Amino acid sequence: MGKERVLIANRGEIAIRIMDACKELGLDYVVVYTPEDEASLHAALAKEDDVGGLKRAFRIASYKDPNEIFSVADQSDCTAIHPGYGFFAENFRFARRAQMRSRPLVFIGPRWEVIKDLGSKINTKRVARSLNIPVIPGSDGPIYNEIEAESLAEELFFVQKEQGLRHPSVLVKASAGGGGMGIEEVFHLDAFRRVYRRIQNYAKRQFGDDGVLIEQCLRDYQHIEVQLLCSRHGEVIHFGTRNCTIQSAGRQKRVEVAPGFDPAVVEYPFDARAVLDRMIAYSIRLARHVGYDSVGTWEWVVTRDGSPYLLEVNTRIQVENGISARIARIGGKAGYPSLIKEQIRAAMGEKLGYRQEDISFEGTSIELRIVAEDTRRGFRPWCGVITRFEFPDAAWAQVYSHVPRDRSYNIPTEYDPNLALAIIWGQDTDEAKTRTLEFLNGVAIEGKDAQGEAVIHNLAYLSGRIEDIFKF
Amino acid sequence: MQMDQRYMKDSGKLLGQLVDRISYLTDIKADPGWKGLGELMGRVEAMRQSIYELDEASIFEEIDKIEDRLSFLEHLAAEGLTPAEIVNIARSLQRFTMSDVLENVYDSFAELGGDGECNVDPAVVVARATISRCVKNKTYSHQVMVIGHEKGRGEEYRNGGCARPWGNAKALRYMKVAETEGIPIHFFIFTPGSFPVEDYPGAAQQIARNLYAMARLRVPMVSFISEGGSGGAEAIGLTDLRLMGSRGYYSVISPEGAAAIEGKIREGEKLPSGLVAHCAKQLKLTAEDNLRLGTIDRIVGEPPLGARRDDYAFFRRLRYELIRATDEIVLKTKSFRAFRAYALKMQSAEKEGVPEDFDLVINWDLTETEIERLLELRSRKYRAMGNGFYLEERRPSLLGLGKAKELASQSYYEIRYGLLRSHQRNVMKVIEEVSSEGSVLLSKVTRPVKAAYEFVFPQPERLPRGERSETPERRSIFAEEWEQYVSPLANEDRTVSCPNAAKYSCLDLWVPDLYGEFCGVCPSCGHHFPLEYRWYLEHLFDKGSVEEFNSNIVSINSLGFEGIQARLERDTKKTGRHSSMITFDARIKGIRLVVAMLFSDFRNGTVGAAEGEKFVRACDRARITRRPFLSYVHTTGGIRIHEGTLGVIQMPKCTMAVREYIESGGLYIVVYDNNSYAGPVASFLGCSPYQFAIRSTRIGFAGPRVIRETTGEDVPPDYHSAKNALKRGHIQGIWDRREFRKNLHEALMTMGGANLYYK
Repeated sequence: MGKERVLIANRGEIAIRIMDACKELGLDYVVVYTPEDEASLHAALAKEDDVGGLKRAFRIASYKDPNEIFSVADQSDCTAIHPGYGFFAENFRFARRAQMRSRPLVFIGPRWEVIKDLGSKINTKRVARSLNIPVIPGSDGPIYNEIEAESLAEELFFVQKEQGLRHPSVLVKASAGGGGMGIEEVFHLDAFRRVYRRIQNYAKRQFGDDGVLIEQCLRDYQHIEVQLLCSRHGEVIHFGTRNCTIQSAGRQKRVEVAPGFDPAVVEYPFDARAVLDRMIAYSIRLARHVGYDSVGTWEWVVTRDGSPYLLEVNTRIQVENGISARIARIGGKAGYPSLIKEQIRAAMGEKLGYRQEDISFEGTSIELRIVAEDTRRGFRPWCGVITRFEFPDAAWAQVYSHVPRDRSYNIPTEYDPNLALAIIWGQDTDEAKTRTLEFLNGVAIEGKDAQGEAVIHNLAYLSGRIEDIFKF
Repeated sequence: MQMDQRYMKDSGKLLGQLVDRISYLTDIKADPGWKGLGELMGRVEAMRQSIYELDEASIFEEIDKIEDRLSFLEHLAAEGLTPAEIVNIARSLQRFTMSDVLENVYDSFAELGGDGECNVDPAVVVARATISRCVKNKTYSHQVMVIGHEKGRGEEYRNGGCARPWGNAKALRYMKVAETEGIPIHFFIFTPGSFPVEDYPGAAQQIARNLYAMARLRVPMVSFISEGGSGGAEAIGLTDLRLMGSRGYYSVISPEGAAAIEGKIREGEKLPSGLVAHCAKQLKLTAEDNLRLGTIDRIVGEPPLGARRDDYAFFRRLRYELIRATDEIVLKTKSFRAFRAYALKMQSAEKEGVPEDFDLVINWDLTETEIERLLELRSRKYRAMGNGFYLEERRPSLLGLGKAKELASQSYYEIRYGLLRSHQRNVMKVIEEVSSEGSVLLSKVTRPVKAAYEFVFPQPERLPRGERSETPERRSIFAEEWEQYVSPLANEDRTVSCPNAAKYSCLDLWVPDLYGEFCGVCPSCGHHFPLEYRWYLEHLFDKGSVEEFNSNIVSINSLGFEGIQARLERDTKKTGRHSSMITFDARIKGIRLVVAMLFSDFRNGTVGAAEGEKFVRACDRARITRRPFLSYVHTTGGIRIHEGTLGVIQMPKCTMAVREYIESGGLYIVVYDNNSYAGPVASFLGCSPYQFAIRSTRIGFAGPRVIRETTGEDVPPDYHSAKNALKRGHIQGIWDRREFRKNLHEALMTMGGANLYYK
């Protein structure tokens, strides 16, 4: 039995973080990169590690082609595969193939059956409802019948009126859609049928399936996530909650905070701590029910009246895993844990070795996503060359970036123009906010695009949004 | 002196006739050197060259010598004609053609829709004509419609008698005209086959339309076969009486085509002539063989070496036979039995020789009841064809019990869905009419009656759409619900490339995913990879609802084709089935239906006598039980050539059954998959009003190779694709395999008339 070798099937900062985790665990690793990512730090770092005649960086044509990924895995004798986030992270077919092929690989993530069951929001909702976990009121499966749909919409309007909402509305979605395609909001029951037919036709044309979902439209909510870590041995541990309400126009998160609510700085019209505990309890119930065995995030929305609704489950390591880890302390161990390391350990079949009681939380942590985008023009991505990228060095700030600092870096047009993730920690929320602003003041980004215009980034936007955290 | 006169006039002409006779004999033998024919020809040619230099006496001496020799050779050739030589006779340039028949058999004719080069399709000739007979020195004429193939004389362009789709459409049009006018139709089949072009609406589709119409055309029809090549012949061949020239041939495929298939000859290679002759013999294509097999009714005698253009004795005989055949058809429909018997006896008594005149004149007009009888006789005739050329294994059961059960079930369905239902409908109609008068009083009176009636005969409860989805079926664009049976193709760890990868940049597909979850469909471009027929049995129908019947009908080597027995046995061993057709009862979401399925593993889904019989029985079963009838074609390679014309007549036979099923109010749905070609598509499949294809299917009349060899033109690779079939109007829709079940259920609910049991 040789040494375990992990293929990192991803790019950017997550590839670097997985690389670091592997090294710390004493595992070998291999990365892949596309021609556009030649200059990215993850490829460069891996090439530097090319010692002992072992090639660690493989060039591929696309991160999205499973055939190529598996052939690299075979060629480099890998025994495990880490999908990171995005790409194959929530693709149960990829996980199934890794496990079922004649030369199996350990898929670092949940079992494929779990990914499949929780991969579809509709199915998640159905399972959650059967466990008495609150979900957004609406249909729990695609509806193909107009009359059925209308009666459901009527009911939803009625319930909202009962609750005293001033502008009740329902959302009509294509069940096969995703990413905001084929969604429309209806404010009056009279207008419902027309919208329903429009969405049905759209869905039939676009996705070949004319199923439609209907649910209550929520406004004024906080987006809360519950971070869980489970092992193959039935251990289920939570790492608290996060608040990811601040999102860009395309529903991309920009600022995340852990923990989910802080009653010390914001006054809530409900018992914040109790609501968080409820969400954690529900999440654990669902995780135990499906036999979850990796890291995962349960996404919730909490409305102004303090009722939580389960949105979906992300069966992968998330971008913002760092802040949950940053505020957590495991009794008897120095420093804070790394969820990526824990995920790899869990996938290799190890026991976690600690219990929920061993975990305590300390302080507040804020994550910033520094992106080259024009926040005033619909978060339009910016493309060009970054010539200088510097940020302050502090013990309370941790930065993950695939942008090399010793040379200029050309942002590839094929991928998102993410530059860095910064994780800032403070003893309490106020200190974290001050430190965040201090950090942002110290960041320097210079560069120009093909026309010679200066770089456009979201630093000003980020510092403007810091005051909004935790607030409805 | 007198002698000299004759010599002066005829020597050149006589030599010309000799040349014709020699070349005719050469054509037949397909060998210029046979018994010194070449040398004989050389002598005649030399004489023609030097005709003015030689003295006449010696010329005639020489001509007499050559003629003696030639007559001897002709006798010799006629004695042992092989099937291959008969094929050569039928194809010879000197054989009589359609125009000769029109000129010599009919008294006057007017060609319809054709004038020299201006013609819809010069290969099909249609004419209104009169045919007359003498009775006691008086002449009586009959009006007839004449439809036939014209092979063309000499350099004239007639496409060798190969009808294009629009040629067959023209034939169909004038058949309808004849039906309107109530005059008999005479068909003359002089075709090596239909021209395999898939222009609107496709060769196969047009033949199917013709067959479907002819199955119940309300006039007497007679056909005469001189050269009958498969589908092309069948397009105008479903008639009440089929005559055949004694030197004609009627076959499922040309001997060359059979040889290419049998000998696995690659394109462009030369066919060994021995193999062609062998195949011609095996195909049983001569008139005698066909009469013995029951695929034709009567032989019209020709001279030993076949009738040629100037054979006026033969044309007289042909006229006599045509009139007699039409008389016979008409007489059989008459209700006056004694008269009928008498007339038939009188006519058959003088079988030998052609009498100068007829004993009586028979009016060819038919009354309504006689037409009904005509159609019934036609149906009976075609249904009986091919019987006895399959094996029906007897299952151990009480004698006669099966028959009794069949009869009992037939009357049960008739009472349940026929009598009661129609009665119920009529009563409801009266009640509704009365109450819709608008009078409050009346509706008050009729309401309790209606209520009481509805209590006795409850309306079938139709579930609203929403409630049907209550069954715990998971709906998704990928067929999760179908994951119980996994195709054995999926047990391999490898990837395949989608053939559309260059066009749609599809990623390579991992085989277990492809044949498992994706149902053999490329998720990015929708290309369908072929799946085995068992997959459909497992996934299309309700679990456990498939009940096969008539599995005891066995395909046999009915013509004794060499080497076929072993192949049949091998396929039986491989598939565990005895014919390429599976017929079964099944349910789709509770709706019972009868299914006939052609599958590829047994002789590539070809149709022979056993398959046809199974199809007809399934069709009848659906008619009696008033269930919808699905014909799913997993693959069909056409008519099984090893059963010769026994295979070909499955086309009219099955079409007859389909027509009767549809006319009785049934719903006949055809779904094509993989490769569907030739005869079946051109008949009992193509005649359905509801034909669908699974995506990536190829549908057509002949494969690309045959098209290339026949027309000399290359066809584009997507020539036979389902999309093109839809474009040219052959099929009605293209279905995704993943949505097959859903679409089929929709079709069952929305299509079909009120006569189905569940409507």
